[in-house]
Amino acid sequence: MVAITRGCDLVDQRRRAGVSFIMIAAVVWQNLLFWGFGLTASALAIGVVVSTNIVRMAVCLVMSLAAVAGLFFLADAPFLGAIQILVYVGGTMVLLVFGVMLTARLPSSSMRTNAGQWVAAIIVGAALLAVCWQACRGLAAVCARADAKEHSAARADHAGRTTTEFGLALLGVRTDAARPNGGAPVAGQGYLLPFELISLHLLAALVGAAYLARSRWNSRQNDHKRD
Amino acid sequence: MSDRIASLLPESWSGAAWAATALIHVALVLCFVLISVAFFVWLERKVSARIQDRLGPTRVGGRFGWLQSPADGLKLLCKEDIIPAAADRVLFRLAPYLCFCPAFAAFAAIPLAEGWVVLRLDIAALFVLAVAGMEVFGVILAGYASGSKYSLFGAMREAAQVVSYEAPLALCLVIPVMLAGSMDLTTIAQAQAGWFTQWFLFHNPFSFAAFWVFIVCATANTNRAPFDLPEAESELVAGFMTEYSGFRWTVFFMAEYTSMLAVCLIASIAFLGGWNGPIPWTGWLGLSHSVHPLLGFVGDCVGFVNVTAKAFGGVIFIMALRWTLPRLRIDQVMAMCWKYCVPLAAVMLMGATLWLYVFPGGVIRGVGGQWSPSPAVATSWTNGGERE
Amino acid sequence: MEYDVGTDQWVLNMGPQHPATHGVLRLTLRTDGEVVTECVAHVGYLHRSAEKIGENLTPRQFIPFTDRLDYLAGMNMNLGLTLAVEKLAGYAPSEKTRHLRVLAVELCRIASHLVAACSTGLDLGSFTPFMWSFREREKIQLLFEELCGARLTYSYITPGGVTADAPEGWLERCEAFLDQFEPVIDELHAVLTSNGIFVHRMAGVGVLSAADAVAHGCSGPVLRGSGVAWDLRRHGEPIYRSMYDDYRFEVVAPVNGCYPQDHDYPPVPPQAVVGDSWHRFYVRMLEVVQSIGLVRQAIKKYRQASGTVDAPWQVKQKLPPGEAYLETEAPKGQMGFYLVSDGSAVPWRLRIRSSSFCNLSVVEKLCRGVMLADVAAIVASLDIVLGEIDR
Repeated sequence: MVAITRGCDLVDQRRRAGVSFIMIAAVVWQNLLFWGFGLTASALAIGVVVSTNIVRMAVCLVMSLAAVAGLFFLADAPFLGAIQILVYVGGTMVLLVFGVMLTARLPSSSMRTNAGQWVAAIIVGAALLAVCWQACRGLAAVCARADAKEHSAARADHAGRTTTEFGLALLGVRTDAARPNGGAPVAGQGYLLPFELISLHLLAALVGAAYLARSRWNSRQNDHKRD
Repeated sequence: MSDRIASLLPESWSGAAWAATALIHVALVLCFVLISVAFFVWLERKVSARIQDRLGPTRVGGRFGWLQSPADGLKLLCKEDIIPAAADRVLFRLAPYLCFCPAFAAFAAIPLAEGWVVLRLDIAALFVLAVAGMEVFGVILAGYASGSKYSLFGAMREAAQVVSYEAPLALCLVIPVMLAGSMDLTTIAQAQAGWFTQWFLFHNPFSFAAFWVFIVCATANTNRAPFDLPEAESELVAGFMTEYSGFRWTVFFMAEYTSMLAVCLIASIAFLGGWNGPIPWTGWLGLSHSVHPLLGFVGDCVGFVNVTAKAFGGVIFIMALRWTLPRLRIDQVMAMCWKYCVPLAAVMLMGATLWLYVFPGGVIRGVGGQWSPSPAVATSWTNGGERE
Repeated sequence: MEYDVGTDQWVLNMGPQHPATHGVLRLTLRTDGEVVTECVAHVGYLHRSAEKIGENLTPRQFIPFTDRLDYLAGMNMNLGLTLAVEKLAGYAPSEKTRHLRVLAVELCRIASHLVAACSTGLDLGSFTPFMWSFREREKIQLLFEELCGARLTYSYITPGGVTADAPEGWLERCEAFLDQFEPVIDELHAVLTSNGIFVHRMAGVGVLSAADAVAHGCSGPVLRGSGVAWDLRRHGEPIYRSMYDDYRFEVVAPVNGCYPQDHDYPPVPPQAVVGDSWHRFYVRMLEVVQSIGLVRQAIKKYRQASGTVDAPWQVKQKLPPGEAYLETEAPKGQMGFYLVSDGSAVPWRLRIRSSSFCNLSVVEKLCRGVMLADVAAIVASLDIVLGEIDR
């Protein structure tokens, strides 16, 4: 997706500049890096699925996510890239810690997947792929439209759309929504509720995980006592 | 810089200029980092020696042992490279580089003088925090892959410690970000132009306190004593580095010094005025790009010296700490983070916010403060992010 | 796939090659995360059959082996065997010899306590005081080198007397050393005793009650740190106690939580509990001051004493038949030598009571339920020397 937008941008610039070779060179560099990051991310993603060692899995996942962050940086979206590293890579790191803690004593342990899980995984994966494919196609159409439009107009359309706006929207202030009387933006129209709901959901997941861990631990203690 | 190189080359080569610029930038930063690290190796020996009433290196390379670092490096390169039988060989080999790369990558967004930055990002502060935080990844991996209990203990300590201390570290960094109204480190430093009273360290009492909390958290984040638990030699032999030797060990060593330099650079940019010296004499002499590009370059060089001197001062401070204090225990380290550093940082943040509200321009209106801080930016936020 | 969440217990092998085990001690720790649930000490890695060797050599020949028992306090080890032999023989050396022995022994106690106190700092991650204390110890070793030709294994105090009288100007150099050394103690207090992190790491950690200390046969600073004012220099057998008869010094112990005299040194921090690692450390630091006083007195008394310094006995001097057991107050604790003689020059039986061995026996009690890092602090505060434990 990222490459497509980037490509659109470059094609756009090329037409504007009217000089072919320079931009081709730039495109080559961009593409080289894009393919580098993209292939790394894909290969490591496959590694996550194929690997049977939980720590190696987590390592592949972390590096795959980091490569995706690289793609974001390539697409001039450093904020997304930094957040990708901070949240996803950081979060997976915690997963890694747990993986190490849980399996450190069983170096030879391997995780095997049974047939049912394979089927379920393939269905979910295929569904996700379909969604992504559709999104990519939709984006291509948007790009084509932007391409057809006057360049400056497309720029102007993008000008106000920064992450600041998005951040404010998460805190409940929609700056892009219609403003009554044309005045200051109104609070309470943003994404505060969904944002908080997600937080609550995460909290619930954490508490649940802790509870599960605890009950198992207790039962294990009892087992020890019985011995 | 890209423009300058492009102007030297024929127009049809600007794609190559782009690549060349990137490579030259990376090479320059790598040179800066490696020379600094080599200097720190020597410096650490000299600082510890002076504190301990010794002489330190005197043999290699003249009276002050200037060549000690190359000698050390050569010795380490010649050492036998051992991989334990119980190790996960792939991850074991990978770990040191995963440790060094993030520490080095952080330099991409750190300006070393006005405009001397590889990649000027709007969110440089966030980027640096995010990337530098990835260093723990290599350490955990090293601990796991070594197949040694001591290493694993070290890795677990590192994970707990670094993940915890990132919170107060980031909170402290929010204060200069807020005072400057930008996450761009270049803008943050520009906002402190003028006399040293313009530095964010002296902006208000809260930012002054936040600086010291920042230094404490930075020390903890870079595993320096008294927070060097992951490599606590008296309990864990060498922690996550126990099984490493030779070149891979050297890479860990370089990563430690590199991240130490990175946090000290950030501290000097965010709190100590960056490339602005205590006295704005470069301005009086007209060493700026607006007068002449060459004079501007000279001014930038002075700025580079300023920012480096401040960062090196911070490094020496952290070194002196290491050779003075005993090590904390892991529960004390965690208690210090969550019971003292986080609340302190939060209070400082709130205090600085209130201060900014009560005294929008700061109290000490220093001589020659040309920059009007945040109100304009704050207004632009509520107006929908239409900045400039 | 079946995974249990919850931490498993680990067995961590600390030693015999480990930076914090002061030689070749091996501790097997059972840890739950960072918490040590069980600690077992294994000794014997430095066993050299010292006692059996003692049964095949005359006491005079065995003296160099005593140097290697507690190799940080060779003088005190020499004195232990010497006095036991002299007790068996019913021999009393001249006054001048006595004062010279006190001088050497107390100087060696300073050196030993310096190593003990500052390697505690090293085990807590503070490297600098260790270097400072070694700098001072180095000066003591130079003094000893001048006195007897050896820096570590002195073999100086021998049955009969000492191997050599103090050389010309040596006493003055001793005094000069003490003069410059006294301010250094304040520096060590500044970086260790009253340092906040140090106090947090040591105070309340590894609390040994007085009853436990007595039950385990602890002695020396470990016993006194628990609040039992017991020092063989005051409470020992007459032949040993009389060595210190006319000397003024205090038995340093926190009796009822207070130290005997209000020193000029850092106050006891509120977190410290009598019997914890901090008190054991503090007792040693204060004993250094007492020893400085003793050395000064010994120098004075030596100068005033008339007569000559006794030379050692002949190597093959016969021992009277019978048995003798004597404990002396070595820096680490009560060091006992037991001799049975059949009338020949070589003892028929020789046994050694090691102070560090008894002091180490509490480690399993103290290290239960503490953090991993505390094990290093506790072992350091017990101040063990494996050469003496394994004999």
